[in-house]
Amino acid sequence: MHIHKIKNSLLFIILAVFLGCEAEIDQHIPDTGTIDLTAYVAVGNSLTAGYTDGELFRSGQEYSLANIMAGQFMHAGLESFKQPLMKDEIGFGGRLVLAEVDGAPFPVPMPGNPDPANFENIYHADGPFHNMGVPGATAQHLLFEGYGTLNPYFGRFAANPETSSVIADALALQPSFFTLWIGSNDILGYAMSGGEGAGITPFEEFELYYQIILTELTAGGAKGAIANIVDIVKIPFFTTIPYNALVLDDNQAAMLNAAYANLGATHINFSAGPNALVVVDTDHSAGLRQMEEGELVLLTAMEGISQENWGSQQPMAPEYYLSLEQVDEIGEAVEHFNTVIRLMAEAEGVAYVDIQSRLQEAETGIYFDAIGFNTEYVSGGIFSLDGIHLSARGNVIVANEFIAAINQEYNASFPKATIGNFPGIIFP
Amino acid sequence: MISTALTLLMATTSLAGGYQVSLHGQKQSGMGLIGTSLQMDASAAYFNPGALAMMPDQLSILGGVSGILSSVAFQMEQPSLYQATTDNPMGTPFYFYAAGMITNRLAAGLAVNTPYGNSLSWEDNWAGRFLIQDISLSAITIQPTVSYRLTHNLSVGAGFVYALGTVDMERALPVEGPEGEGRVNIEGSTANFGFNAGIQYSHPGGINFGLSYRSQIDMEVDDADALFNNIPGTLSAAFPAENKVAVTLPLPANLDFGLSYQATPDLMVGMALNYVFWEAYEELHFDFEINTPNLQDSHNPRDYSNTLIFRAGGEYRVNEGLFVRAGAYFDPSPVNEEYFSPETPSLDVLAFTGGMSYLPTRNLSIDASLLFLMGLEQDMMYAPENFGGTYKSRVIIPGIGISYSL
Repeated sequence: MHIHKIKNSLLFIILAVFLGCEAEIDQHIPDTGTIDLTAYVAVGNSLTAGYTDGELFRSGQEYSLANIMAGQFMHAGLESFKQPLMKDEIGFGGRLVLAEVDGAPFPVPMPGNPDPANFENIYHADGPFHNMGVPGATAQHLLFEGYGTLNPYFGRFAANPETSSVIADALALQPSFFTLWIGSNDILGYAMSGGEGAGITPFEEFELYYQIILTELTAGGAKGAIANIVDIVKIPFFTTIPYNALVLDDNQAAMLNAAYANLGATHINFSAGPNALVVVDTDHSAGLRQMEEGELVLLTAMEGISQENWGSQQPMAPEYYLSLEQVDEIGEAVEHFNTVIRLMAEAEGVAYVDIQSRLQEAETGIYFDAIGFNTEYVSGGIFSLDGIHLSARGNVIVANEFIAAINQEYNASFPKATIGNFPGIIFP
Repeated sequence: MISTALTLLMATTSLAGGYQVSLHGQKQSGMGLIGTSLQMDASAAYFNPGALAMMPDQLSILGGVSGILSSVAFQMEQPSLYQATTDNPMGTPFYFYAAGMITNRLAAGLAVNTPYGNSLSWEDNWAGRFLIQDISLSAITIQPTVSYRLTHNLSVGAGFVYALGTVDMERALPVEGPEGEGRVNIEGSTANFGFNAGIQYSHPGGINFGLSYRSQIDMEVDDADALFNNIPGTLSAAFPAENKVAVTLPLPANLDFGLSYQATPDLMVGMALNYVFWEAYEELHFDFEINTPNLQDSHNPRDYSNTLIFRAGGEYRVNEGLFVRAGAYFDPSPVNEEYFSPETPSLDVLAFTGGMSYLPTRNLSIDASLLFLMGLEQDMMYAPENFGGTYKSRVIIPGIGISYSL
């Protein structure tokens, strides 16, 4: 009996030694909580679609916000998620890539011609699609029947470009769960035109469209998550070029002062060092003035400033900057829209994703899994080369915010995506 | 009952505290690494120089080596399905001791061993690669020692410690080119001095007390190579390919107390307390020779705490030619849970040890030990860079040695 015990113990120790060599941790089992994953549909704009680096193209779609989230939901039982994939890496042809220009990385158009098939409707061949993100869409656009005839990004995958609305196509999939991220384009059109183009969607209209969209998406009992929009004026498209981007030496400053004095514009003053750019301002008595701190230069002015003397010899056109008043107007719209979105989330009982706060945190730098991020252009890692849309890792950050909010609202435990498994911005 | 307890404990396991490796003798290893109060052979030069003059033989020479088979598992902070494990090369700490009695009161000896080290290799492209991909740290100490017996029962001793250290580590950089991510490899070596001193009291009733202190030694590498590989061309100026870096790693001081008791002519039992002054490891600071806006000196807080290791063990003489040993110890992690870096995944460790010696002749002993280290599965975070999760590790350390005495 005694011997038997010793033998057993010895056997146990030997087994323990050989089996115990590898450390192992029990794996987390994802739980859907109160969510039904029969059909997940993502509704939104370019940010949902996977538009990045100035274009919608195949690998960008693979790393789209919607596809990243769907990939995580698949760990908990989601069976399929179909995207209207482009045929190539070029899309409609607007993609930017980093190239070496004078030894430094600089965004340039990607060479190559788009596959004509990218422009053809693929609904009947490959549809229907669960990623209903449409680049350029505003809240109103999602409800617009025949939007496919106005926006080729929707035309290429609408059930019927002449009659479909984005929401109608989304509802045709009978979503049991949805995500909705819309509203940026209701302000961006105005902001990206320097306040000269289409206006900001009036607040009452935005509220109305948003209410209709949300009512329709939840009508069939679907659960979902809705996200607020980012501070438009804090994205790199508006923060990369400073208002005083004009760096001069004494000589250059004197020459410019003399030239403007000759024109009678004595209120324009330059000195050695950084100088405020000169802009056209029809509200100013002289029709031109220097920019003030807090005013914003659009990223699209880069080439004009560096190569065509915009802001120095050539006053920069109003389409390329935002005045203090316009910056305030945009800020107010963001706050108002986000209040609408938050209140609607509460009213409808859907998960509320506070992307705005997370990106505000990122402004001063934030780490995810030992990778540092901030909101700077290119080097910040969150925004893509167009300065507006997210990079693959930017999409992971947002997807994980969605997942956190969904887990909390619906008592679920969907796993977060691992950011280090996604590509960063590729430098030449 | 014991096996049930073992099974429960086996659910978790881990490496030894910090980067200290305490495998300095197969006999001690078999007894839970107690050693401070033992006065059996030349290994006292390391464990307690005060005990060296108490050794029973005129001459003692011994050497040995252990193989550290370790594995660390990581589960990303919940909710996540991400897991990674290490594929560590086998660590091989070794020791060599020689000592002799010069007069019947004065002993002199030499200790050569590897009291610190860390050998870790995470799976390729794992999620923590921006903190560490792989690392190999080692320190060899060479310690000439003298010991003097003041009275029949009391002896003191001291040694001069010369430490040689090497570091070789690689981490990924979050800059990406067409050929993938950049990497930085840091490789260097250094040497520094310290001391080891102790006192031993041997009570006629068969009780021995030992107290010893090993000083802190700062391994200051002034000009390690910092090689930046696979950096995209347009960023090559930001990460100069062949840079130099200065980095300092403290080898902490130890204050050890030991007590052992010859209960019967065949049975000896003992315990030891090791107080390790880990507070010395405040931060890991990389001071690059060439700084650029993208490559600043890097301050990585560590903020270790002092720890107290409790050890107990014993030795049983089966017959003239065979000794068996057993022991256990608890080695709490010195790591601050907010600054837990996967480069030194040190968890609270509970270890069980066993060992034996076979003496083919009276003068020669073949010594073997086997250690099984079981740590606690713990949630840890490297808060400054927001990387955390659950860590767990298992370590098995077989060792073999030979001792000769005259």
